Amino acid sequence: MIKNLSILLFICLIILQFFGPSLPEVSNINPNDLIDNNPEIPEDIKTTLQVSCYDCHSNETKYPWYSSIAPVSFLVVRDINHARDELNFSNWEDMSKLDKASALDDISDVIIDNEMPMAIYTAMHRGTSLSNNQKESLVLWAEEFSDHMFD
Amino acid sequence: MRNPLIIMIITFFPIIFLSFTHKNKTIQTSKAADVNYIIPNDIQEIINNSCYGCHNNDSKSIKSKMKLNFDKLSTMKIGKRVGKLNKIHDVIEENEMPPKKFLKKYPDKSLSDEDGEKLASWAINMASQYINE
Ligand code: HEC
Ligand code: HEC
Repeated sequence: MIKNLSILLFICLIILQFFGPSLPEVSNINPNDLIDNNPEIPEDIKTTLQVSCYDCHSNETKYPWYSSIAPVSFLVVRDINHARDELNFSNWEDMSKLDKASALDDISDVIIDNEMPMAIYTAMHRGTSLSNNQKESLVLWAEEFSDHMFD
Repeated sequence: MRNPLIIMIITFFPIIFLSFTHKNKTIQTSKAADVNYIIPNDIQEIINNSCYGCHNNDSKSIKSKMKLNFDKLSTMKIGKRVGKLNKIHDVIEENEMPPKKFLKKYPDKSLSDEDGEKLASWAINMASQYINE
């Protein structure tokens, strides 16, 4: 009985592979990228953003091997599409100054609130969760970078 | 009779001249810090009726207070203030605020189209004044 069930489950999973959505596209050349266009951003902030945010909030996603396997693929596709919709650092320079200010304000909010990076992501990816120091610097940077646009 | 007139012209000319150059100067170096952050009375009334209850210092909801606090808006740093003003505009355009659940209970707090338009344009205009290009 249990054996039959597990075989059935296995077959279902195999079938599911063929119906899995394809992973969002990756592009490593993005003329409007935040980091590429703003060399004044401090190195530690660049690193934090690239390590802990860019997998979801940019076109430069690095997929781990298991991300294309259903049912994980369903979650990955949903989260990355959703994340890029909300904030895509690869399209930074496409935004108006007002929208940039709102995005930077969102960034400090989600960091203070411990909403980002998503917990499920930091649990699966070593070294992506933020230390208190990193959080503090990121929040301060977001405020300064925003202020600087209106000098 | 001619002397006082000449003296008057001589003394007033520099003042007038200076006042012009001064004006030009302030226009050229107009800084974000010079923008006057003001909430006209009609806008304040709309805010008080439909938004302030959740977005103020004493609000019980930490979440709504953190996202937007009208008591702090005027003392916030420029970048943050502009970001918040732009969001006020956005949430009204997208009909996200006041929250629908809340309006079911308190229909009198809803925002008329006209008031929403007024508040949204005030917010976006105020935010845009900080841009100097
Ligand atoms: C695993 C993917 C993932 C990672 C990594 C991630 N995010 Fe997100 N982020 C999301 C998703 C999905 C959403 C949209 C969901 C939502 O709004 O709740 C989002 C939303 C956001 C928003 C918009 C929130 C709002 O209220 O409008 C901001 C800002 C943000 N993330 C910043 C960051 C920052 C900064 C980092 C890095 C420190 C980061 N995220 C890392 C997936 C991620
Ligand atoms: C019943 C309480 C309540 C009222 C009334 C209310 N809000 Fe909110 N508002 C909230 C809550 C709660 C949040 C946080 C929602 C969230 O992030 O999920 C919020 C969030 C916001 C945000 C931040 C949105 C974002 O995505 O960052 C803005 C801007 C805002 N409200 C503007 C307004 C305006 C303008 C009004 C009046 C027209 C208003 N609110 C009325 C409760 C309220």
